Amino acid sequence: MIKLDVNHVSKNFGGLLAVNRVSFQVRGPELIGLIGPNGAGKTTLTNLLSGALKPTNGTIYMNEQRIDVLPPYKIAAVGLGRTFQVTRAFRRMTVMENLLVPALAMHPAARQRQFVEKAKEVAEFLTIDHLLNEYARALSGGQQKLLELGRLLMLDPDFIILDEPFAGVHPKLMEIIYEYIIQTNKNGKAFIIISHDMETIFTLSQRLLVMAFGELIADGPPAEVRKDPAVIEAYLGSDSDKPWEPKRRAKRNGSKIES
Amino acid sequence: MRNMKLLKTLTWVVGTGFLIILPFLIPTRMHVAVIALYYAILASSWALLAGYGGQFSFAHMAFAGLGAYTAGLIGKFIRFTTAPTGLCTEFSMGDWWLVVQDAGSPTCLETAKAAMPVGALIVKLPAWLDITMGIIVGGLFGLLIGALVLRLRRTYLALFTIAFAEILRTVINAERDITGGPGGLKVDPLFPNGLTIFGRTFEAADKLPSYYVMLVLFLAVLALMYWLVGSRFGLFIRSIREDEEAAASLGVNVVRYKILLFTITAMIAAAAGGVYAHFVRVIAPNMMVIKEMSVVIAMAVIGGMESLLGAAIGAIIIEFALEQLRSDITIGSFSINMTDWRLVVFGALLMITLRFWGNGLIFPIIQRITRRGVAEETVAKRVQPASTPTAEAPVMEQEVEA
Amino acid sequence: MNYPSIFWYAVLWIIVWGAVGALVTPRVYARKDKFTHQTAMIGAFIGGAFGPVGLIILWVLTPQLSAKWILASGLVVLLWLGLAFSRADPDNLCVTSGSFVATQLANGLVIGSIYGLMALGLTLIFSILGIVSFAHGEFYMLGGMVTYYFTQVFFPEINPLWGVLAAALFTFVLGSIFELLFLRPMITGQIERPGEYAILVTFGLAFFLQYTTLSLVGASPKKVPRFFDYPKVEVPPDSGAILKMTPGNVTFFDIISIPSPRITALIIALILLAALLYFLYRTWTGKALRAVSQDRQAAAVTGINPKRMNTLAFSLGGMLAGISGAALVQVFSWVPWVGIPASSRSFVIIVLGGMGSLPGAFIGGLILGVVEALGAGCVPDPNRAAAYLPAYGMIILVLVLLLKPTGLFGREL
Repeated sequence: MIKLDVNHVSKNFGGLLAVNRVSFQVRGPELIGLIGPNGAGKTTLTNLLSGALKPTNGTIYMNEQRIDVLPPYKIAAVGLGRTFQVTRAFRRMTVMENLLVPALAMHPAARQRQFVEKAKEVAEFLTIDHLLNEYARALSGGQQKLLELGRLLMLDPDFIILDEPFAGVHPKLMEIIYEYIIQTNKNGKAFIIISHDMETIFTLSQRLLVMAFGELIADGPPAEVRKDPAVIEAYLGSDSDKPWEPKRRAKRNGSKIES
Repeated sequence: MRNMKLLKTLTWVVGTGFLIILPFLIPTRMHVAVIALYYAILASSWALLAGYGGQFSFAHMAFAGLGAYTAGLIGKFIRFTTAPTGLCTEFSMGDWWLVVQDAGSPTCLETAKAAMPVGALIVKLPAWLDITMGIIVGGLFGLLIGALVLRLRRTYLALFTIAFAEILRTVINAERDITGGPGGLKVDPLFPNGLTIFGRTFEAADKLPSYYVMLVLFLAVLALMYWLVGSRFGLFIRSIREDEEAAASLGVNVVRYKILLFTITAMIAAAAGGVYAHFVRVIAPNMMVIKEMSVVIAMAVIGGMESLLGAAIGAIIIEFALEQLRSDITIGSFSINMTDWRLVVFGALLMITLRFWGNGLIFPIIQRITRRGVAEETVAKRVQPASTPTAEAPVMEQEVEA
Repeated sequence: MNYPSIFWYAVLWIIVWGAVGALVTPRVYARKDKFTHQTAMIGAFIGGAFGPVGLIILWVLTPQLSAKWILASGLVVLLWLGLAFSRADPDNLCVTSGSFVATQLANGLVIGSIYGLMALGLTLIFSILGIVSFAHGEFYMLGGMVTYYFTQVFFPEINPLWGVLAAALFTFVLGSIFELLFLRPMITGQIERPGEYAILVTFGLAFFLQYTTLSLVGASPKKVPRFFDYPKVEVPPDSGAILKMTPGNVTFFDIISIPSPRITALIIALILLAALLYFLYRTWTGKALRAVSQDRQAAAVTGINPKRMNTLAFSLGGMLAGISGAALVQVFSWVPWVGIPASSRSFVIIVLGGMGSLPGAFIGGLILGVVEALGAGCVPDPNRAAAYLPAYGMIILVLVLLLKPTGLFGREL
């Protein structure tokens, strides 16, 4: 079973607490949305989970293995994949080569040929199969996003973090991405999806994490989170005399939700 | 596609054939030809490092220097004898003794010779072995520097290697007793006793055997590098060049592959340096100055950093051009000393190429041939599935241009 | 044990236990589920300072660590090194003569301030444009060359300060031209791989400038006499003399003796530093520069033109290097490749100080100046000591990259 334990994780950038004692657990293939105002620390949290940054404090366990001390490539091997807020396709490599990189990285003894068929299938699923021999830089922004998702399919991690998968994407492609998430989740993968698109995130996710000022201020099913006063406060500002300081509050919602 | 393959094979055969018969076309310019191949090895391996791997090292010539000086110093100080000298530093290895002639008493072996039994042998390490030692030393330094610097951002590698190259040169300059300092170090020719092959005898000073040795090294290195580029190694280092963080998030052991790449190219440079040392026979720290590095970079950039072949061709053409330009230009009473000005020209050419033709001048031609048909293929395929959103049509102009 | 080897044994001891500390400590902390932030470095320092005993105590207790530990154990390491050195070479001037050490230190600080000024230019460029200029040393070289030609060849009778001014102007203009022609296209999107391009094109510029200069002026060393003769001031030695001056030398407290051209250079550096600080913190343009270095987009929104700031920063950076060269041309003799060691030195300094940190660059310059001066003065074989001058910087660079790649004042990225 997929298991992720984030325990009191903090990240301090020279005095700025970007992430402040965040804790949550994931059990099983959940579909989790992560929202919060700009600068809430969502992307920093993603970077901490994927190992791109090391936490100043706290520990992260995935499937009983401590991953916050591991380099990113080992975290990928443990089974955590991610995309980036700004698309990061390998621009001067063909689509096929882009897809082969994670597959070969995961299978040190395999040969390239073994994965060509799988790469073609993935490309077909994402409707970019006609571009296989093109350099990634010739793809449109949306197609590059699809390519990133394709790389994740080739990597085949248990746990996938998507940073703004819907931002600036053509509605048609958005459907494909939406379909991708639902499909992959059904195949037993857990997701954390960061998005500013409230509409989509509320309908898509089974559980929502809300961050503000580096803290996790709410954790629960979308319907409950929507009514949470702390969340409303964080998004709309409060009438208190210190609106920039989110009120510390006990987590009301249980952090475990069986799905 | 089959035509492509045929064309590729044909190009290689013709190219190799041309290099093999080159000595008979320009018999008077053999020296330049060997040096051109030396630069071709350096430029193409630097292209592998910088163009494919995105790792900008300014110590490539320093590694060539390490290879050259290791070979030269072994030739100067290391001997194998069948009898102990009792005077020099020596290690017993079964029947043989490894003798290190001390820099403090360079004549110890000469003195000991008289006391040795009749028939005792004193031999030097053969050239190919001391070149191999040079490769190992180059690789070790590459490994150490790589392990230190390559876990950091890529600017650090450039900063560190430029300082390292300068220090290495300083050290070799300062340690006169060992390296001969700026005056240079004498190295034996590749075939000290001459060579007889196909019934023809070559003197030790003949350039033809050296040319073929350098050519074999060049072809071997090029083959090795093309094999690497075609394997997963090539895929990974290119992904690292494009985006380290993304590559790492997809499971690529970024640091390990960067170190591996850096070490391999350092060893290639050291190999070239070793052969070069035996060819020119006097090596000086000047072979490692920043100017040499700049020339190699100019060659790779003008040829096309992202193409091993482009860089190699660039190197060969530029080396011949540089030699051609050496003669002074005299216009009336006004004479221009071209030995320095030609480098100014190449500096300017380097900057202008970078600015306007990022892919170099030769690589685009190669690419036009090898990627012919890709764009048409994509367009042809795209027409069929109507589901592809038209609003997201890829930007084709870029591709065709590149 | 014979004396000189004591020093090397001490160095070896520190390196070995430092390495053990750096490698094992994070694992110990990770196993105990403690926070592993910075444990490698602290382990290295404690290992180096206190050897196995310190490490075992550290591993058993695994206390919460802080940066103070580094400072304290770093000082202990220096103490060990000093002790080992004085035992190894008891007759060395560095051990026997306090006045020699003080003079070396003072000279190091003086030269270091110029190094700092030059590195300040490099770090200014880095913090605004995000690139390292590999042609920085060539601007330094050109500053000196222009001063030489201006004050010695074209206008021999002129006040040398005009030479410095001419050097400043020349390097500033050169910097702007280069920025406009070759770096501006990076931010307008005409260059496909800006990061790689910047490294190579500045390197190409260095090559170009070096050989243009060589072709124009030749390889023979140029020497500029000291800018100013100092007035003779002598106080009778018994009266507790604070200051003694001859035209070529200044002596403080009868102990510290510094050649007067270096004092002139120091004064130029300090005036320039003050001017730079005033510019950056008191004028609108300077504030705009700093704003761009912190957040390009936000700055652009407030009406600052980031493109113009790029040009300004690159020209200013080049000018700082040029003035450093102009100030030092009276101290060292000048050849077209004098910029190469100078730029490696600047690289060491900005890495030591932290890439993009202005105070870091200046303090790093002072540190490097002192280390080089002590190295040159204390290493027993004087010929080698001078030849290895650049190597001391290299040792610093290796240590910084091993222990704290972000440098003294660098932000974690």
